[in-house]
Amino acid sequence: MKRTVFLVDMNAFFISCETTRNPELAGRPAAVAGDPKNRSGIILAANYEARKYGVKTTMLLHRARKLCPDILLVPPDHAFYERKSREVMELLSRYSPVIEQNSIDEAWLDMTGCEALFGPPLESSRRIMAEIRRKPGLMCSIGISENKFLSKMASDMKKPMGITELWKEDVPEKLWPLPVGAMYGVGTQTAEKLNGLGIETIGQLACFPEELLREKFGKGGTELYRLANGIDPSKVTPHAEHEMKSIGKSTTLSTDIRDIAEAEKTLYRLADSIGTSARKHGKKGRTVQITIKYSDFHTITRQKGIRATYLTKEIYTAGTELLRQNWNRNKPVRLLGISISGFDADSAADQISLFDTPGGEQSTKQEKLERTVDRIREKHGVFAIRPAILFADRDDESDS
Amino acid sequence: MKFTCSQKKFLESILTVQSAVSTRSNIPALEGILIETENDVLKLVGSNLNLSIESHTSATIQKEGSIVVPARLLTEIVRKLPDAEFEFTVLANNNVKITCLNSIVTLQCFSADEYPALPDIAESQPIEINKTLLIDMIRQTTFAVAVDEARPILTGALLEIDGKDVAMVCLDGYRLALRRGVMDTPHDSVRVIIPGKSLGEIAKILPEDDRKVSITISERHVLFDLGYTRIISRVLEGEYINYSQIIPEDYKTRVKVDTRILTSSMERASLIAREGKNNLIRLNIQDQKMLITSNSEVGQVYEEVPILLEGEELEIAFNARYFMEMLKVIDDPEICLDFTTNVSPCVVRPINDHHYTHLLLPVRIYS
Repeated sequence: MKRTVFLVDMNAFFISCETTRNPELAGRPAAVAGDPKNRSGIILAANYEARKYGVKTTMLLHRARKLCPDILLVPPDHAFYERKSREVMELLSRYSPVIEQNSIDEAWLDMTGCEALFGPPLESSRRIMAEIRRKPGLMCSIGISENKFLSKMASDMKKPMGITELWKEDVPEKLWPLPVGAMYGVGTQTAEKLNGLGIETIGQLACFPEELLREKFGKGGTELYRLANGIDPSKVTPHAEHEMKSIGKSTTLSTDIRDIAEAEKTLYRLADSIGTSARKHGKKGRTVQITIKYSDFHTITRQKGIRATYLTKEIYTAGTELLRQNWNRNKPVRLLGISISGFDADSAADQISLFDTPGGEQSTKQEKLERTVDRIREKHGVFAIRPAILFADRDDESDS
Repeated sequence: MKFTCSQKKFLESILTVQSAVSTRSNIPALEGILIETENDVLKLVGSNLNLSIESHTSATIQKEGSIVVPARLLTEIVRKLPDAEFEFTVLANNNVKITCLNSIVTLQCFSADEYPALPDIAESQPIEINKTLLIDMIRQTTFAVAVDEARPILTGALLEIDGKDVAMVCLDGYRLALRRGVMDTPHDSVRVIIPGKSLGEIAKILPEDDRKVSITISERHVLFDLGYTRIISRVLEGEYINYSQIIPEDYKTRVKVDTRILTSSMERASLIAREGKNNLIRLNIQDQKMLITSNSEVGQVYEEVPILLEGEELEIAFNARYFMEMLKVIDDPEICLDFTTNVSPCVVRPINDHHYTHLLLPVRIYS
C-alpha cells in the first residue's frame, strides 16, 4: 500500500514563538539573537521580514544591524520554545498516532489510512496548517509524499506557509534539477565529494552507477543513490531516543581565558548539564571528549575512555584530566565543550559484581547524590541547587 | 623403534592426549605427540606446558625407542586406517612408516630430544578421591570460573582438602559455585588452585566408573592419576579469595521452590531475555508465588511459579544466563533461594543438605 507521510516544519520557529507573546514584533523585521555583550551574539532565528534584508541565521549581530538597522532583537528563551514545541507536537498527534519528532520544530506524521478521517492529504494538511496558525499561533510548511525523505524535501520547497506534494512520479521533474547539496542528509563534505565526481544535481546522482557510489561511500553510497531516486523505506518511528549517539555541550566564553581554574569551572558547568541529561535518558557513556577552540579559531578535540558512567563527577574528572594534559597557557581559549559517547547497550541495568571497585560503594553514593540533585532541580529549577564552585558566576549562560 | 598395535587402541590413546597438544607453539615439537616405549607398553604424551596428558596402551614392541609425530596429521591418519593391527617403524632421519594391510604412510617427524621434559611431581601422599565425586565437583563449579584474565587467579578452581572433607570453589565476581564432598580416605589439609581449562579436560577424559583417582600436589603442579592415564596440570600461584566471607549467613527473604518448575519457567523467560541487550529477568517474590518476567524488543514472558515464602516480599533482577547456568547443574528436586536486598547476593542451596552452595549477584535496576 502506498504510504502517506507528512513533514510538518515550523517556519522561523524561535522568532515566531516570540511573536505570539509580543505582538509588537509582528510585521516588523525581528530576530532571536544571543546576548551582544557576549561573543555568542549571533542571529538564531530571523523572521521573514528581516530575511528580506538579507539577515540570516548564524549571522553576527553587527552585520545584521548593518543590513537592517531597524531590526528588533529578542534574547532566546529555550524553555518557552520547548513548551511551544510540545504544544505543536500534541496537536499533530491528534492527526496521527505515528509521529516522529525530528527536531524542536519539525516532525514526520504517518498519515497512511487517515483519509477517511481527515480527507485527502491536501485537505488534511490545510487543516493542520490552519490549526497551528490559530492555536499555538505559528506558521508551518508541510511536505506531502509517500516516504520520509521526499516529504522532507517537499517541505523545503515552499516557505513559509506552503504545502507541497512530491510523489515519486514527480521526482525527475521537481527533485532532480536541485543541487546535491540541497538533499536532506547531504552535508557540505559529502556535497564536495560528489561534486568531485562530477555530480552537481540530484538528477546526476540518481543516474550515477550505484556500484561506484558504493565503492566511494560504502553503505552510504547505496543510500544516497536510493534517496536521489526517491526511494526511502525507513519508517516513521516514534521517539528516536535510542539512536542517541552522544550527549554534549559547549560554550563560547564571554572573554578569552588563559586561567585553567576558570576553564575548569566552565567545564564543571557543562559536565553538570550533560550529566543531568544523560541520567535523564539513562545513557552511560564510555568515552569523554573535550573540545577546545582557541582565540585563533584553531580547534582541538581530545578524548579518553572511562568506565561507563552518567555521573557528573566522573565526567568532570575525566574532562579536567584531558584539559590539564592539553592546556596551553600561551593560547587563549574562546570555546570549551565536553561530551560523552560510546553509550552502554543497556544503562538501565547494572550487573553487580563482588569487586565493585574502585569505589563501588562510593559511586552508588555519588549516584544517589546526583539523582537527588536532579529531583530538586526538577521541582525548583536549575539554580535551586548548585555546586559551590559555581556560585561566584551567575552571569547568563549562553550555551549551544 | 618398532611396534605393532591395534588401530582402535592406538586411536583411543591419541584422542586422550590430543586435547592437551598445543595448536600453536614456539616449540614445534609441542605440536606433536610424543610416542615412547616403556618396557612392554606404549606411552603417548600431549602437552602445552600448562597441561600434559600421558596415556598408556598395550602394544607388541619389537624395538625400543621414542619419536614425536605431528598430532593433527597422526590423528587424521590413524582415524582413517582400517580397523586392524598396524606396524609403526621409525626410519632414519626421524621418518616414520606406518603400515596397515595394504596401506603405507611415511611421515616426517621430530626427534624425541626436542620434546620438553615433563614436570617431575615429587612423591608425596596422594589424595584418593571417588571419580564420580570429582566429575560432579568439576561439573557443578567450573562453569563459574572467570573467562577474562583481569584476575588470573579466578580462571582457576580452588580445591580444598581437610581430612575427609573436600571442596571445590569457582567464582568470577558475578557468581560463586561451591561444591563440598566427603572422601573415604582422609588426607592432610591442603589447598591448590587448578586452571578451569585443565579441569574441563580432565572431566572429559575421566571414564565414569567407580574407581578412584589419585591426586598428587606439588608446589607448581598437580597430578591426576587414573591408572592408564596421567594428567599433569600447572597450578595457579597466588592467594585465592576468602570465599566463605562472601557467602552471607542471614537472609530476609527465603524462597523454597521446585527446581524443575523453576527451571522450565526460567528457560522460557530466557528465550525472550536473551534477545534483549541485557539478558535480564525480573523476579517478583510474593507470598505463595514468584513472578518471573522478561521482555525485549521481540516480546515478553510472564511466569508464575508456586513457592513457599519465608520473610519479606522482594523484587530483584538477574542476568538470565547466570541463573540458567546455575540451575543446569543442580540435581536436587527442591532448592531454597535466600535474599537480603535486591542489590546483595542471592544464595542458592538444596533444601536438605548443604553439599553445594551457589551465590548469584543481581543486576541493579533503575526505575
